[in-house]
Amino acid sequence: MTMIMAEPAERTDQEPAADVPVVEMDLVRRAQRGDLKAYDELVQRYQERIYATVYHMTSNHEDANDLAQDSFIKAYQALKSFKGGSSFYTWLYRIAVNKTINFLKQRKNRTHMSLNDLDFNTENNPDLVALISEKTPRRDAGLKELQEKLNAALLKLSEPHRLVVVLHDVQGQSHEEIAEIMDCNIGTVRSRLFYARQQLQSLLADYLKST
Amino acid sequence: MNENENDFDVLRQFLKLKRQETPPPGYFNTFSDQVITRIRAGKLRVNADDYFSEAPWLLKFLHVFEFKPAFAGAFASALFLLLVFGMVYADRTDSSMQPVLQATDPSAGSFAAVAPAALAQPADSTGIIASTNPATSLQPVVSIFDSQNPLTQQVSFTVPGN
Repeated sequence: MTMIMAEPAERTDQEPAADVPVVEMDLVRRAQRGDLKAYDELVQRYQERIYATVYHMTSNHEDANDLAQDSFIKAYQALKSFKGGSSFYTWLYRIAVNKTINFLKQRKNRTHMSLNDLDFNTENNPDLVALISEKTPRRDAGLKELQEKLNAALLKLSEPHRLVVVLHDVQGQSHEEIAEIMDCNIGTVRSRLFYARQQLQSLLADYLKST
Repeated sequence: MNENENDFDVLRQFLKLKRQETPPPGYFNTFSDQVITRIRAGKLRVNADDYFSEAPWLLKFLHVFEFKPAFAGAFASALFLLLVFGMVYADRTDSSMQPVLQATDPSAGSFAAVAPAALAQPADSTGIIASTNPATSLQPVVSIFDSQNPLTQQVSFTVPGN
């Protein structure tokens, strides 16, 4: 499955609008009563974020597809147990994260990469051009190689460390949100993030050397 | 911590690039439909499971078939033999019931009196007895009234010209 490098996604959808919780709770209540149309709206609302998190954890589109779908199905089945103590989004995230971590534990010895060639147009992306600049070891690295190195390095991290990096540095979530999703305190999130970055820094040392 | 953040600036830029990894175009157009379809399919399966939970013996019975195909073959053979036995037994019962009916049914005599000619058959002939049993219907059988019908006489005549 070819992964396409698109224009950087707007992150505005990460911050829910003020009226969203009300609408969301209404959708959740309707879904709890078995209204699949309401649940369909909830799926559409969070599918991209859930998929992205799972994908960055697994580095495999097919696995991410299966796990994201399974997470939404499990959430629907467990919807009656959702009391609204946290936001639906956080609750859903927890399900997806737990499912992904369990999957990765089972897949421990299998590191299948399915990242293929990047879209040609993205080579003109100024961010990428800046990163793969001249006079650095990166100049010889194709985009594909760069991405594979990055994903391979991520896969070498433990699941909790990888998750923190994915949620914070890739998806742009706050420490507080991550702490809620991972059911731990903010200090733990910070220390895991620091350790994970250090690990990645050393694994990608050749590619991160500045001019 | 800010100093540390600066230390990881390049790394963070790298990691931000991962945001650009997106699934094929149109992938999310069908994603929720697939989820809802699987939920609906799951509901149907749950209903089936509920049915089996009301009759757990049936579930166990079917599981035996699932895990031991030899049992399924044996069960099918037994059913087939039962069917054959049923057909043979029904055939026997059908033919043996006729004299019994004749002997016990008081209307049998009057019936014989009303239509003796219709019931009478030559001694060596075979007839067709209507039966509700598909296995025996339209089967030629020996008449049960052989040589016992006093109203029947064998005749002999010659066709002119022979």
